[in-house]
Amino acid sequence: MVFLSRIADLIDALASRHRLLPWLIAYVMLLPLPFIMSTFFNSYLIDLANRACLFILLAVGLNIVKGFCGQVTVGHIGLYAIGAVTSAVLSLEPGGFGGALGFGLPVWVSIPIAILVTAFAGLIVGLPSVRLEGAYLALATLGLGESVRIFIAVTPALGSSTGLMMIPAPSIGSFVFDSFTSYYYLVMTAALVGIYFSFSILRSATGRAFQAIREDTIAASVNGINVIKYKLLAFVLSAIYAGLAGALFAHMPPGYLHHNNFTVIEMVTLLLMVVLGGIGNVWGGVIGAIVVTIAYDQTKDLVVYFMDRPIVVQPLVFGLSMVLLVLFMPRGIGGWFEGVLRNRRFIKRSEEKLGGTARNSQS
Amino acid sequence: MALLETRNLSKSFGGLQAIDKVSLKVEPNTVHGLIGPNGSGKSTFFNLLTGVYQPDEGSHISFNGIDITRSPAHKIAELGLARTFQLLRLYGELSVLDNVMVGYHPHTKYGPLAPLINGAEVRRQDKVVREEMEELLEFIGLAEYAEIPAAELSGGQRRLLALGRAIAMRPKMLLLDEPGAGLSPVNVDNLMSTIMTLKKRYNLTIIVVEHILKVVMSTCDTISVLDHGQKISEGAPEFVKGDPAVVEAYLGREMADEDIRAAMDA
Repeated sequence: MVFLSRIADLIDALASRHRLLPWLIAYVMLLPLPFIMSTFFNSYLIDLANRACLFILLAVGLNIVKGFCGQVTVGHIGLYAIGAVTSAVLSLEPGGFGGALGFGLPVWVSIPIAILVTAFAGLIVGLPSVRLEGAYLALATLGLGESVRIFIAVTPALGSSTGLMMIPAPSIGSFVFDSFTSYYYLVMTAALVGIYFSFSILRSATGRAFQAIREDTIAASVNGINVIKYKLLAFVLSAIYAGLAGALFAHMPPGYLHHNNFTVIEMVTLLLMVVLGGIGNVWGGVIGAIVVTIAYDQTKDLVVYFMDRPIVVQPLVFGLSMVLLVLFMPRGIGGWFEGVLRNRRFIKRSEEKLGGTARNSQS
Repeated sequence: MALLETRNLSKSFGGLQAIDKVSLKVEPNTVHGLIGPNGSGKSTFFNLLTGVYQPDEGSHISFNGIDITRSPAHKIAELGLARTFQLLRLYGELSVLDNVMVGYHPHTKYGPLAPLINGAEVRRQDKVVREEMEELLEFIGLAEYAEIPAAELSGGQRRLLALGRAIAMRPKMLLLDEPGAGLSPVNVDNLMSTIMTLKKRYNLTIIVVEHILKVVMSTCDTISVLDHGQKISEGAPEFVKGDPAVVEAYLGREMADEDIRAAMDA
């Protein structure tokens, strides 16, 4: 714990030299990760890291609407699906496999369009928030999110039950991002940039307006905040993250997309990341995304035999850990650490102050 | 010209007439008291003025010459009408500094998407605002708690912060809903003197709802009395104090004169 505070102090010291210095150092430190993984462990871990990066984008985006702005949405995975399918369909060659739609656009064109489409969808998912709150809003967004998945599942043009295949990989010149390692640099950069912008939003009047709405909607409106506008903006911003994550997911090797990637279980996993990390805490969401992605991967084939019948325990473990977290650690890892840091700063400042008066009285 | 004017302001909740055709004028740079027994409609009146509730048909509110009868709360706030709440409604998890910085929101010069497009400008402007807000915290005596979450402050400090958050809006008019509730008599006096200093410093017009009549009598230029949603009396403190209608509303008809005097002076 002291170690963690040391790191926090070090980051502060670096940031005081130049604002972007800690980010740059983090980026450089993350560069050799695929080589470390493939040398000392196995290259499957790189694929896991890629998926963790996508989930970081999703969790950080969800944190904007749920953590900063306090709007309970369970439709986020639907936005992810929209981003993925839009980009996939736009970039697939026309007349593709199994009646899937294809427009043959370059990947670098399809991704921005997918983000725009998802942002618009985010606006629609956000509309119920104008009138609904809490559990009612959760139900409305759950309906919207799940209907997206079912729509994909029953529409052959969007892959239906077979899924979309042979989705092209992005490329620069003759270099194609079609291996786990090369794709890692794409998603890792996207994740880091996403985290950076999430902080930019949080530390601005926009972020403060979101948080004011979360804490007290009436007080926020009386303080001159256009509550409806900012709520919808939060939904749109988080949808941009989801759209980017979805589009990157679609083009990730092996370039295959299936509606099973967008189920309610995935949504619960995503929520677990945000709750474990600490609702409203950006780094918490990042840590939550990494921890839960690894835990999900490690437990997905875990089977316990009860009276010779196999029982898949993962859903139970995830559901139970969600309950325990909300009970015993409602503010997550990030919230806990934030509290520790704040107390340390307060103690430090009080000590400085007391030290000052003590010196004065001696002289 | 009156800074705030209401004509025939009414609000009913189902069958209950919470505010009944109240017409009121508040002159600039005055302190206007609003008193009345519990449930007489004082807080509802504030909620109507600030756009938290929508008034009934036929009502009219104008502020600084602008019709705000149907304006949403945030538009009214932008025009310079700030308020505090009886139950404070602070942003509990936000730091003390962030609370007042949210109050500054109507004066933010960059758009909501600026943090994504022009981060340097956002940081530059926020730095200026932060310094200004730290100065305000210094003035109301909360500077050393700037980074503490508002929920961790003591009761009296919270009342100060609620006041600070309203002042941060740089309002022309300030509506105070029971600023002294729950404070000891000494603290109430301190709070009122702080309010008076702030009034002078920022050139404010104030409407204050307060149950402690001594405070109202000593600070207000004009007092309006509400009972069952109707304005039953209005005038200088001395006049209102002696108005039989007010005495009746507060204490009933049966009480002897000297008891009434004693209660009023308490």
